[in-house]
Parts: sequence; C-alpha cells; structure tokens
Amino acid sequence: MPGPTLFFSTLMADEAKNIARGLQRRDPDLLDRLIEQYQYRLFRYLVYVTGNQERAEDFFQETWIRVLERGHQYDGKSKFEAWLFAIARHLVIDWQRSKKAQSLDALTDPEQGHPLQLVNESEPSPLHQVLSNETEETVHASLQKIPAIYREVLVLRFQEELQIDEMAGVLSIPVSTVKSRLYRGLDALRGALPGGAAS
Amino acid sequence: MSENIHQRALQLIAQARVEGMPETDAAWLRAHLETCDSCAAHARQTDRSLRSLRSAAIPLPDGLARRTQFRVRLRAQELREREPQRRALWFACGVSWIFGGVSAPYVWSLFQLLGARAGLPKFVWEIGFGLWWTIPALFVVAVLLMEKVRQGDEPAWMRQDS
Repeated sequence: MPGPTLFFSTLMADEAKNIARGLQRRDPDLLDRLIEQYQYRLFRYLVYVTGNQERAEDFFQETWIRVLERGHQYDGKSKFEAWLFAIARHLVIDWQRSKKAQSLDALTDPEQGHPLQLVNESEPSPLHQVLSNETEETVHASLQKIPAIYREVLVLRFQEELQIDEMAGVLSIPVSTVKSRLYRGLDALRGALPGGAAS
Repeated sequence: MSENIHQRALQLIAQARVEGMPETDAAWLRAHLETCDSCAAHARQTDRSLRSLRSAAIPLPDGLARRTQFRVRLRAQELREREPQRRALWFACGVSWIFGGVSAPYVWSLFQLLGARAGLPKFVWEIGFGLWWTIPALFVVAVLLMEKVRQGDEPAWMRQDS
C-alpha cells in the first residue's frame, strides 16, 4: 500500500526543502536545531572515520561551520544527512591530504596496496578513548580491526541506514564500488566481531 | 549438497542484508537454510555481527552541541558583518561597468582627438582605448579571484548541481 510510504516521503522532501530554505538564509535557530538533531549521528560517524574522539570533536565543529558557510549549496533534493556526511568526510580527507599528501582512499583502499588503517598506528588504540563499558569496548576494539574504508560503509549502511545510492553520493564513488565495499566489509565484520567469527 | 549451492546461499545471505533480493531468491534461501545447518549458522553469525554494530554506542562529549552552536553563531555574525563590504564591492564593480559602457563612445572620440593632436599612429591610440576598456574588466576578474581564494576551494562534492 503506497499511502503511508508516499506520505512519509513527501514529509521528508518537505523537511529537506525547509532545511534548504533555512540554510540559504543562514537561519541560526535552524542551525541550532540541526546541530542538536544530528549531533549523535555525525559524531559517531566521525569517530568511526577518524578513530579518535578529539579529532572527531574538531571535525564535528568544522563540519557545522561549513554547513553555515556553504548552506546555499544544499538544494533540498537529497537527504540532508547525506550532504552533511559528505561535508564531514571531505573535511577528514582534506586533513589527511594536508597531513600525508595522500587521499583517504589511497590511504585506506586495500585494492591500491596501501596501509589499511586511517588512524596513526603509534597512537594507543584510539577508539578505546570513547568506550563507556566493557561490551562496547569489545565491539569497538573488534571494529578497529576492520579497515577504515569498510568500517565507513558499514557505519553508513547499517547504523545511519543510508541507501546505497545515497552512500555513493556521500563517498563520491560508483554504486558498484559501494556494493563491493559493503560485501567485503560485511565479511570483515563477521570475522572481527565476537560471536561473529566462524568458530 | 554441491559446493556451488552453499556458495550461492552465502552470497544471498550477504545480498539480503546489503541490498535486498527478489522474492524468488529469498524463498530459495529460506528453503536452503531450513536444511543446511552450516549456512544457517553463517546467517545467524551475520545477523549477530550486524546487531552488535547497530547497538554499539559512542558517548557524546559534554556540551559538544552547545559549544558548536556558539561557534556557528559567532561565524554567522562574522559573515553578516562582512556582507555589506562584499555588496559594496560588487556595487562598485557594477557601476564601473555601466560607466565604462556608457562613456565608451565619448572616450573613443577623446582618444582619437588626443591621438591626432599628438600625431600618434592610429593603432597606438586604439591600443590606449583598448587598455582603458580592459583595465576595469581585469580589476573585476582580480576581485572575483580574490573572492574565490578567500572562500577557499569549492570542491565539486559540495555542489549538488554538479
């Protein structure tokens, strides 16, 4: 029955249009609301991508500054969160480039024969900094074993629940590449998480 | 049971979670999982892993939203304060272009007159007129470039119309 689906998709499209209009005006109240609304999802994404809480905090703030400055470029035709994650991701990539003069993909894509971890290996297991209890520690420590390039797609697909075409937009890669990364990521996840590995 | 059948089942287990699958494949997979313990265990492991991923929580730092809102408001204020200067600059450029266009015939005559009085070859005063006409345009290009540099590179990924 298309009724409720149509209703919700219209509602979401209206919301995206309202956000686009507000961002054009640089509406401070709208920005406050968006920061509140997306704080957890954006922060979580940044922690997984950077593997470091302090860095994720910096990128979090920078992302919203960019949203303010470039808000007029959001046209409301796609989901706001996809645009938001794209901004955050490219800030991280720019930082990586300035730091190592290489792209995030080059650093993390195993198909290109480069090291897989985005985080600095000399740092003490960065995700551990954000752990709150033992169970989560286990999960996070296991996720740390997954190459960042796969961790990222897993987070976008299974935590943020973005569609594959939306992910392709966020990551600026073809849909087929998103799928292949997801399949490999799923394999890696099953191997990495406790209870997930084949015994 | 053939190895290919198990391979297909494992592939469909992943496909169902990543992108979904047609009902015919889903029905085949359900039937296979009922009879194959190892593939069923693989499906359960996959689901357990995804559940763990979904339930993994990351604590938010205290006051992160509040600090960010404060920074964003400060930056918004800076941008608002800079806006009149930017408008004034564009207004000056516009006026300069309009004035250049309107006055072109008179300036042409003036250059012609001065060139004749100074006994300059025609191409010299024509070049002079050309420079008079292009300098404001070059100024505008310089302003635009400065504006672009100030705003920083605008990557294609941010432009939704690209």
